[in-house]
Amino acid sequence: MAAWVKGGATDADAAVEAAATLLASARTPIVAGLCAELSAVRAAYHLADLIGASVDPVAGPALYAELGPLSRTGAMLTTPAETLGRADAVLIVGNAPWERAIVQEIAESVPTRGRAAGAERTLLSLGGTRNGATRHVAYPAEAGGLAVSVAHLRAYLKGHLSGETAYGDLAKRLSSAQYGVVLYDPEELGELGVEMLQGMVKDLNEVTRFFALSVSDPYQGRALLQLSAWTTGQAPRVGFGRHVPEHDPWRFDSARQIAAGEADAALWLASLPAPRPDWLGTLPSIAIVGEGSPEATGDAAEIVIAVGVPGESAGGSVWNDRRATITYAPASGQATALTAAGVLAAIQDRLVQKKGASC
Amino acid sequence: MLIRIQGGRVVDPTAGRDAVGDVWVENGRIVATSERTPDRTIDATGCVVMAGGVEVHSHIAGGNVVMSRLLLPELYTSEAAPEGHPFAHAGGSAAWIGANYARMGYTVAVEPAMPPANALATQLELADIPLLDRGALTVMGNDDQLLQLLRQREGKAAVRDLVALSVATSRGLGVKCINAGGASAFKDGMLKLSLDEEIPVYGLSTRKIMTALLDAVEEIGVPHPLHVHCNNLGIPGADESFVDTLEAAEGRRIHFAHAQFYAYGVTDPENPATGGFRSAAERITEAMEKHPNATFDVGQVAFGQTVTISLDILRQFAGRKGANPKKWIVTAGDAEGGGVVPFLYKPRGAVSSLQWAIGLELMLLSKEPERTILTTDHPNGGPFTDYPHIIHLLMDKEKRDREIAGLHKVIGERSGLCAIEREYTFSEIAQLTRSGPAKLLGLTDRGHLREGARADVAIYRDDRDRTAMFARAKLVLKDGVTIVEDGEVVAWRSGHTLELNVESDKAMVARSEIYLQDRYGAGLESFSVPDEAFPKADVFEEVACLS
Repeated sequence: MAAWVKGGATDADAAVEAAATLLASARTPIVAGLCAELSAVRAAYHLADLIGASVDPVAGPALYAELGPLSRTGAMLTTPAETLGRADAVLIVGNAPWERAIVQEIAESVPTRGRAAGAERTLLSLGGTRNGATRHVAYPAEAGGLAVSVAHLRAYLKGHLSGETAYGDLAKRLSSAQYGVVLYDPEELGELGVEMLQGMVKDLNEVTRFFALSVSDPYQGRALLQLSAWTTGQAPRVGFGRHVPEHDPWRFDSARQIAAGEADAALWLASLPAPRPDWLGTLPSIAIVGEGSPEATGDAAEIVIAVGVPGESAGGSVWNDRRATITYAPASGQATALTAAGVLAAIQDRLVQKKGASC
Repeated sequence: MLIRIQGGRVVDPTAGRDAVGDVWVENGRIVATSERTPDRTIDATGCVVMAGGVEVHSHIAGGNVVMSRLLLPELYTSEAAPEGHPFAHAGGSAAWIGANYARMGYTVAVEPAMPPANALATQLELADIPLLDRGALTVMGNDDQLLQLLRQREGKAAVRDLVALSVATSRGLGVKCINAGGASAFKDGMLKLSLDEEIPVYGLSTRKIMTALLDAVEEIGVPHPLHVHCNNLGIPGADESFVDTLEAAEGRRIHFAHAQFYAYGVTDPENPATGGFRSAAERITEAMEKHPNATFDVGQVAFGQTVTISLDILRQFAGRKGANPKKWIVTAGDAEGGGVVPFLYKPRGAVSSLQWAIGLELMLLSKEPERTILTTDHPNGGPFTDYPHIIHLLMDKEKRDREIAGLHKVIGERSGLCAIEREYTFSEIAQLTRSGPAKLLGLTDRGHLREGARADVAIYRDDRDRTAMFARAKLVLKDGVTIVEDGEVVAWRSGHTLELNVESDKAMVARSEIYLQDRYGAGLESFSVPDEAFPKADVFEEVACLS
């Protein structure tokens, strides 16, 4: 197990002490990343409350592309297993979903449950040009981009536009599905695009069954979103400056806060792989990262503590993309003694002790 | 530590007790009157002493509860927290739920809808509800594996084994079915389903699925009867579905969820869909009296903004038209899924007023409050925090009349509420909120104050303003430890999650492994709820099956 303080190797206790000292002197700290097992994310929220920090996950951009439309209009959703088992028509919007394994699974299977069982599955794409290997019917995006393309498609479905056009044809295919699914990446499609797409799916349900399936972010966003909601009653970007969770996705965007000079210390939590933020070395910071990761070095942050990686050297509850739920991943190898949750709890305990001593 | 709760009016209908006296507590249990000097004496003079409240049906955890927070973040307000639990004042959070139940003197709460596919997330959330013991009911009745077994007429043993395995894997406390077959039918294009209507693809009906589950629950010996959410919730004529389902149970134990939403008789038989509804509380009450095998919880309406949460996606899809504000979520999940639809119960609205009246009517007509459990189906009928107000209405005819006077006149025209003189006694309130739900869940050491009972005790100042009385308990003991004083939480501790101790059949384990691998690309392990997943140890407590 490795830990560093100001570039020098040390033991975990010394690193925890240094982290507590750093956070104790911070006035507006941030807790960011949160790409970790749920027990660690839970501990991070508790620590953030204690020190009056704001919280921002690395999955924030992907999550908030969905959360805005969700709270404005709602959604009609389904799961990967239902898509594979029931869908006779799948529309893939954009390029990003093609990177995911589920596209291949969809392409290689047919519906086996429900009224479409035994039917051919039609694979359709809108604005996806990257994958030429999978047989599908492709419809190009319009010049205005994906969101505008979805808007035009919706207009054809609603009958606001008509004619023998490509989108008119696509609209007919969607309407004739028995169990249709539209697969998309919310970050690629953007807030307005997601809102338009969900509206289109709701329109389709006036005539058939049709649902949306968005690909998950790779940074545990779906799991921490749930924990955040049950812990604070809110979505993830909250601030505890007034010791009550205040939700504000703009104000508590960590990159914005740091660029604006609002934060004076940061704790970066990534026991699972996540892109290191470029601001990590620019302010007093603590990095709790997975052992063996590129960030597990003395120069990643002022204080670095390497911890067990869930599913590898630690057990942990994490997002299961295929199951679309939280599942437990036991350690596949030798479990390490230091977990992210344990380190965060130790920092919290040390801070409580310091608080007590100062009274 | 020996504790004497002295001089309170002790109300325990299970012991025929309603008189001033003492309650003795030692080592977390109620004990017999002792000759020894107590280590602590709690002066309960002028107070009413009851067992801790038990909640059987409140949506307090799970994927759809999470979705409701994201859809309607403005529903609850958060306040700056005083010393204590960091998140207890975060409106709608798990800690907020635990704190608010505890302040009212409740010590157990059950989430009634845990899909096995999402069991770990639900259980993690439940475990973060402080102060209370909690549990969850495993939902079945729309999952393809079960429906396949039934379609193939595999017999009772196979169904029993699959139900037992699902409960054991998800660590549920009981079994619930929600519009059995309805979610499957919705996915296949249906928008309405009755008890004997054929469910596409499977050739089954709600009756067939439900009766199979009734048999399985009996065979396994689940203490809590099958918890049933019938077809056709909330529509005129839903009383037919309720009574038909009651008769379909054929004497087997059955619990009906939120009966108020089914006590809607058609006003105009010629135009049942458009003619509106009238109270069917009398009809439901008569049917219940003829069927002692049945219980129900009420699903009382409370006025104001709320959000409805249900795995009955067929019903929630239909309910989207009434969403207020105009936004909603329907998820076609791996079995049921879920629907989240905001709703505003308007005090001056005819429909809301009548719903409010019907719930009260059901409780006031009941001759057996132990079979009539107080719930609001939180948050569907309104928040559970409205219980003190509802109790006030049940105990005080004048209060009731004053409220009715401010509501829509439809109450007088289409319900029998105005003519009911009855006022609930403390004993009846204890049956409605303590002994009834505890018996229903098979929690033999809760819901009463007899020797050997768990020392979950609520002490209330006797106040004619019953709302004030029951909103802030003077003192609450959980397992003999004081957790609430003067309506404020004074000790934050974790309760346990109650799980049924049920064995799984090895052959069904092997069979399910193959099925799940094929369908999800992952086996039973990915559905499991291991102890190691929880941030704290000692989360679960077993409840035995009936022998």
